[in-house]
Amino acid sequence: MSESSFFCGTPAHDISRRAFLSQSLAIGSGALLGTTGAIHALDEDAVNAALKKAGRSVILLWLAGGSSQLETWDPKPGRPTGGPFDAIPTSVPGVHISELMPKMAKRMHRTAIIRSLNTRDGGHGTGAEMMLRGRKNEAALQYPDLGAIVAKELGRADSRVPGYVSFYSQTEGRGSGKLSPAFLGARYAPMNLDDSTMPPNLSRLEAISDLDHRDRARLRDLLSARFASGRETETMRSHASAYARVHGLMSSEPLFDIEQEPQWIRDQYGPSLFGQQALMARRMVEAGVSFVRVSRAWWDSHGQNFETHAEMVPELDHVMATLMDDLDQRGLLETTLVVAYGEFGRTPSVNASLGRDHFADAWSAALYGCGIQGGAVWGKTDEDGRKVVEGEVGAGELFATILAAVGIDPNREYHVGVRPVPLVNPGILPIRSLLA
Amino acid sequence: MALSLTIKEEKKLSRPDIFFSLARVPGTHQVYCGSSDGAVYFTDLQAEKPEPVVLDGGAVRHRPGGYVTGLALAADQSRLVSGAYDRQLIWWDAASRKPVHAVANAHAKWIRKVVASPDGKLIASVADDMVCRLWDGYSGALLAELRGHEAETPHHYPSMLFTCAFSADGSRLATADKTGRLVVWDVPSQQAIATLDASCMYTWDPKQRRHSIGGVRSLAFSPDGRMLAAGGIGQIGNIDHLGANARFRLFDWEKGETLAEIESPEFKGLVERLAFHPQGQWLLGCGGDHGGFAIVIDPATRKIAYEGKAPFHVHDFALTESSDRIIVAGHNGLAVKQVAAA
Repeated sequence: MSESSFFCGTPAHDISRRAFLSQSLAIGSGALLGTTGAIHALDEDAVNAALKKAGRSVILLWLAGGSSQLETWDPKPGRPTGGPFDAIPTSVPGVHISELMPKMAKRMHRTAIIRSLNTRDGGHGTGAEMMLRGRKNEAALQYPDLGAIVAKELGRADSRVPGYVSFYSQTEGRGSGKLSPAFLGARYAPMNLDDSTMPPNLSRLEAISDLDHRDRARLRDLLSARFASGRETETMRSHASAYARVHGLMSSEPLFDIEQEPQWIRDQYGPSLFGQQALMARRMVEAGVSFVRVSRAWWDSHGQNFETHAEMVPELDHVMATLMDDLDQRGLLETTLVVAYGEFGRTPSVNASLGRDHFADAWSAALYGCGIQGGAVWGKTDEDGRKVVEGEVGAGELFATILAAVGIDPNREYHVGVRPVPLVNPGILPIRSLLA
Repeated sequence: MALSLTIKEEKKLSRPDIFFSLARVPGTHQVYCGSSDGAVYFTDLQAEKPEPVVLDGGAVRHRPGGYVTGLALAADQSRLVSGAYDRQLIWWDAASRKPVHAVANAHAKWIRKVVASPDGKLIASVADDMVCRLWDGYSGALLAELRGHEAETPHHYPSMLFTCAFSADGSRLATADKTGRLVVWDVPSQQAIATLDASCMYTWDPKQRRHSIGGVRSLAFSPDGRMLAAGGIGQIGNIDHLGANARFRLFDWEKGETLAEIESPEFKGLVERLAFHPQGQWLLGCGGDHGGFAIVIDPATRKIAYEGKAPFHVHDFALTESSDRIIVAGHNGLAVKQVAAA
């Protein structure tokens, strides 16, 4: 299988373009304008698009198990389905969210909400698979997940850090919607940090001195270069790239060490594992990681929904607000898109265990940061939250909106053999009013 | 001789809402019920066609959706006091069924339970602000605050103060929270005089799902005041559901000893309400998960003497004076059950 690039379809062109862009960006836009010969070799719109994407990244707060839209972004206070929580006004006049989210209420002018997701799949596994790919896999074709696409489109070939990192510390639902780069290849697979924030086997063995380690690398480079001479192939490039990335990872060991953060910043994110992993995500996008998934499981509140959400939503509220402020203070909010959603929402009806069950017909997601129109609210559910009455969208539209927000053309195509595979299904459009 | 009895359904009313609390007018089958819609309803269950009627025509009520979780008759039954998730306490004149006094922010968080002292002079309310407040049963004046429960669970999440109960002589008050901590208070001095542990009813899942469930949901002193019963649920494997058996723990609270740990072999769910027979012959616990149950424990043998289905998940009940009838309120219903020798 092969795949085309955004430009002419050859991986070689893709790599040289990225190298050109990264070098040009490194020496500033003035120098870029001077390299007219290089520009002529490329499509001007493509260059602009690529420049626009430079340095962008996505953090997905994956709310595994399915959080309740009624206890977060689409409250229905006073209705039979509304549950006991009240709604509170936000910094956007007329927009109310759950009282469990006072911090995000103050930041609503920087946040966009989709209240009209109808994804038609209330299964954990199949729902997660769809929400992580923007569509369902086909029998004969597995689609890459969002992180793999973002890592491919926004990542730098010469990056010394991983393009795609996924945290999933809880065990429930970890296998749902399994992450996969599919036809994009293992280069874009996630680094899974499930049981530790530190990748395993990252440190140099104590038995090998630093000098010995560097000497070994030099010898390997020498032998590789000699072998590669006259053998310019994708395999060779992949081999060299893999070693470069391993070296990069080893040298970026401090990236995974949260102890490197000042205590006061760690305190701001709070003591929860979710908070600490959100801080790790910020460290990673700051270092150039293109896509980080921070999973917070498990929201599957078939029993005692309100007490579960009374525990978990304030934590989500705090983490989302702190992450926004931290990214903003570091100048990263304009280049980092943060998205929060799971595989589905929860039923408006309250069951006898005071729980809410799986519900994919009318639920919500939230986005802020890069490319997002703060304060925008898309779609509407009926007064009891049982169905979408305005602006119905599915997983594809959410996916397209995420891609468009960070400057990736959702209509671009990969090729699997001779088959063109668009990033989203034909006819699917981003939600323009949510885009800045 | 072993206790042997059975409980049969006599009458049932279906409702679209959830009744979370119930107070019975002594000597009658007239009850007040606190609803998930924020209203308080009066129902005469001896009427030919019992029909819940909203108090004050609904002109004054708790916030819609502010579940009314506490109801108690006080001051010689002249006052009905309601408490709800809207943090408000309302004193109603029982004769006119009109509100006479309200405290808008009686607590900073959801009110979970309201009980009256046996002489009706005091009202105790507990809430998720982890404070128990004592109020004058008639006037609604605040008399005292009892603070003995942590605001957070050991895992840094907000705790919840679910329940409280007076002893029969009114001298003791017990409170219990989500983590399974029980405090017994001396009412006249307002001092904590004992703490007890029922953390077996609190499940924290650190790995699979990373949140918690459970807690002590009900308390009752034996008529002689020596035994304190706590009701809840056992340790839950899958905390997506109320997926563990109903659990009771009996204490000799003065000695700080656990007398018995009793788990229903048949029914899963929370024991939402506990009450002793007036002479202490049995202890009744009702609750549920998706369905409901009624479980009777023989205090002498400390074993289950009866367990059977309730028509719905029961949130509250009241015994008649002769203990031959139980009026249960809960998910989508209200029912009268007859207690008889088996």
